Amino acid sequence: MKLPKIATVWLEGCSGCHMSFLDMDEDLLNIFSRVELTDSPITDFKDFNFQDVALGIIEGGIANEEQVEIAKKLREKSKILMVWGDCAVFGGINTLRNAFSTQEILQRGYIETESTVNGAIPVHESLPVLLEKALPVNRFVTVDVYVPGCPPSPDAIAYCLNEILQGRIPVLPTDMMHFD
Amino acid sequence: MEANTIKITMDGKEIFPEEGMSILDAARQNQIRIPTLCHHPDLSAFGGCRLCMVEVDGAPRLVASCVTPVRDGMEIITSNEKIIHSRRTILEFLFAERNHNCMICPDSGDCELQSLAYELQMDHLTVHSSFDTFPMDVTSPYLALDHNRCILCGRCVRACREISGARVLNFIHRGPDSRIGFDFDDTRGESTCHACGVCLQTCPTGAVVNRYRTHYSVKGHDKRQWRKTESCCPLCGLLCAVTATTADNTLLKIEGNLVKDTDRPDGGQLCFKGRFEVLKTKGERLTCPMVRNHDGNLEATDFQTAMDLVSEKLNTIRDNHGKDAVLGLVSSMCNNETLGQFKDLMVRGWHSGAIDTLDGDHFRTLLKTRRHLPGSFDEASWKTIPDSDFILITGASPGRTHPAINSLIHKTILEKNIKVAVIGNSNPGLPMTSFFLPITREQEPLLIKAMLKHTVEIIGSPAQKAPDWNRICKETDLIDSAKLLNDSGLDKASKMQFQEMVKAYATAVTPLIVTGEGFTGTNDPSGLDDLLDLAMLKTYPSATRPGIILLKPFGNSAGAWQTGIPSIEPLSGSVNWKGGLFILSGEEGEAHILSGPASAVDFLAVISPFFPDPLARRADILIPAPTWMEEDGTYTSLDGRQTLLKPKLYDPPNHIQHMQDILSSLAEKAGWIPA
Repeated sequence: MKLPKIATVWLEGCSGCHMSFLDMDEDLLNIFSRVELTDSPITDFKDFNFQDVALGIIEGGIANEEQVEIAKKLREKSKILMVWGDCAVFGGINTLRNAFSTQEILQRGYIETESTVNGAIPVHESLPVLLEKALPVNRFVTVDVYVPGCPPSPDAIAYCLNEILQGRIPVLPTDMMHFD
Repeated sequence: MEANTIKITMDGKEIFPEEGMSILDAARQNQIRIPTLCHHPDLSAFGGCRLCMVEVDGAPRLVASCVTPVRDGMEIITSNEKIIHSRRTILEFLFAERNHNCMICPDSGDCELQSLAYELQMDHLTVHSSFDTFPMDVTSPYLALDHNRCILCGRCVRACREISGARVLNFIHRGPDSRIGFDFDDTRGESTCHACGVCLQTCPTGAVVNRYRTHYSVKGHDKRQWRKTESCCPLCGLLCAVTATTADNTLLKIEGNLVKDTDRPDGGQLCFKGRFEVLKTKGERLTCPMVRNHDGNLEATDFQTAMDLVSEKLNTIRDNHGKDAVLGLVSSMCNNETLGQFKDLMVRGWHSGAIDTLDGDHFRTLLKTRRHLPGSFDEASWKTIPDSDFILITGASPGRTHPAINSLIHKTILEKNIKVAVIGNSNPGLPMTSFFLPITREQEPLLIKAMLKHTVEIIGSPAQKAPDWNRICKETDLIDSAKLLNDSGLDKASKMQFQEMVKAYATAVTPLIVTGEGFTGTNDPSGLDDLLDLAMLKTYPSATRPGIILLKPFGNSAGAWQTGIPSIEPLSGSVNWKGGLFILSGEEGEAHILSGPASAVDFLAVISPFFPDPLARRADILIPAPTWMEEDGTYTSLDGRQTLLKPKLYDPPNHIQHMQDILSSLAEKAGWIPA
């Protein structure tokens, strides 16, 4: 039997959502026996040429040009796109930087921090350019399932995965929803 | 069906609300839930957030249930797909308008906006957030206002006007720039805000932040485990009704009971002390008994050893040196039970001839006045403040010692335009006083004497003369008010103000005098006598008590004075005390104890919740006690007329004994067993 394929990516986030995913305990075995995980940061993949998947999952918001591209690619290849965590759903903690210009942020981070000596803002063609603002995923692509939480609880993730595997588009119930 | 009730249908159920009631109130009365944000049961309806929209008679336009009165025969639907969609959309707008970032918000987990988002399953925003940033006001040590989290529901504005009466908060600017402002766009620190915190209590989001509560005190506890305890605040004797929220035996917050149908004119607001400073750590907690060893250092010991040592030492002193050798001092912040037990222990156990409260001097000054009898409280209740038309504040700083009284005076000025005069070295934070005579504490009695003379002159010869009328007239004849005024050092403008103030007082109908430590803290009762005469001139014959409010130094001073602990004669420092037992509460105002009789004691045992600095350096034995928050007890109100039970807010730490047990066990060892 061919199992439905799943790909997950980690964009502007802390990997906490993936940690919560791995924290599902025995639910993890249950899920993995029913799906094929094609790409995931757990496998440390660097190639973003996704196969066609049933479910694409994004952790983290979108804050630079590369992330825009990855999100769009994954959307194109996924039947259903699910986003995990406050960063992907609302913008999350990354939006704290929206009060400043990218120049100010880089200046502060690479030059002015108290522990930095002879700092410089890195410039290289392989480095993605920062967007003016850190934004939620649905600013760029259509999202089908939202799992807010920082991170979402393993229960919430398991609930949504199970619902999707049973052919439904879930909305997180009140008792599983939290924004912190 | 009663005459004024009507019949409506709500969600298919027939209900009978009173005419004129809002749809929301009718729903709540019948346990039908309609979500709200800008509505608060103790504030006037606003109709701003539109979250309480319901469908009436199938009309296409939803109406706001909080401001729509019920009408006979109305058919109301409180929830359907359209209504839920409308509510969720409004929530999304609120979230998108400013930066509602729950994970960095100290009120996450204690936020109505957040709970509603969960309830309505708002799992994302379909509208785009602007991510515009708004300023933050952190100029008050107690409260921060983060405009980024404000939803402009106006609850704080209404609470500031309707409950506190301060009218500091208001909406300023327009449209997307609208925000909450203080006075004329001042910062909170510069404004007339006196940090009563009612805006914090009513704010449905994390916009108004308690700076005394840490981020994780809320986040660390599951809301389902929160425990609410109704109690009262004993800090200044007004006994404001409070609700304390605790979790895992930790105090999370203290809020006022905003009930309107009590005899309390303050409407349940609290002050910066009762709401914020109670959350502050008062010092290092004394966790186990400490005994001074041979090297002169304090070392930990167990309760039994400490109690044995205290009683052995004091028993020996009593037996060898007689009853006058044992000194007992107790803080008037202790509850009535502790005070009574302490008195019994000292008098019947150790036959002590010298017991006193920390504020005994104030009591003795009061006793020495002409009018006063021991134990009687011949004064007006603070609850009469809203009924007065002139208030004189002298020798007191209610803004510092009794902030709720200050707030009530402020509210009365704004609502009834009454005149308020302040005589003293600093304005007590009342921005709209009619008269302010800056003068040093020592010179206040001079001004009162002059005021008495002028008042007698203005009143002339009334039909019904106050009891001591002849004596007062005779005495005031001898007063040279011009000389007194010159001696007081007032400048010319202030002297003019003084004359105006006396005229206002003499012609007022229900004037009140608020005084306190400035007059009771001296050993000379003559100033207080003049004040009492002054008050009596105006209150007689409508009331038998002088219109004077006496602000006492400690929260339960009235209770301590009624217990009769302070001796009538002052304790003389020249007596050679051999041993002493002091009970402290750990609240402010107890630090001056060392300058008094305490310095003369050879052996000293202290019962206190905290290391009583600097007394800890002098004490031979320290015994830990629960704080006032950890014990049930009764407290007597400022005016001495009401005694209320204050239930404990949470339990003391495991290893700390109850005050009752400590004192009983000492009493037993001292040879006195209560019946």
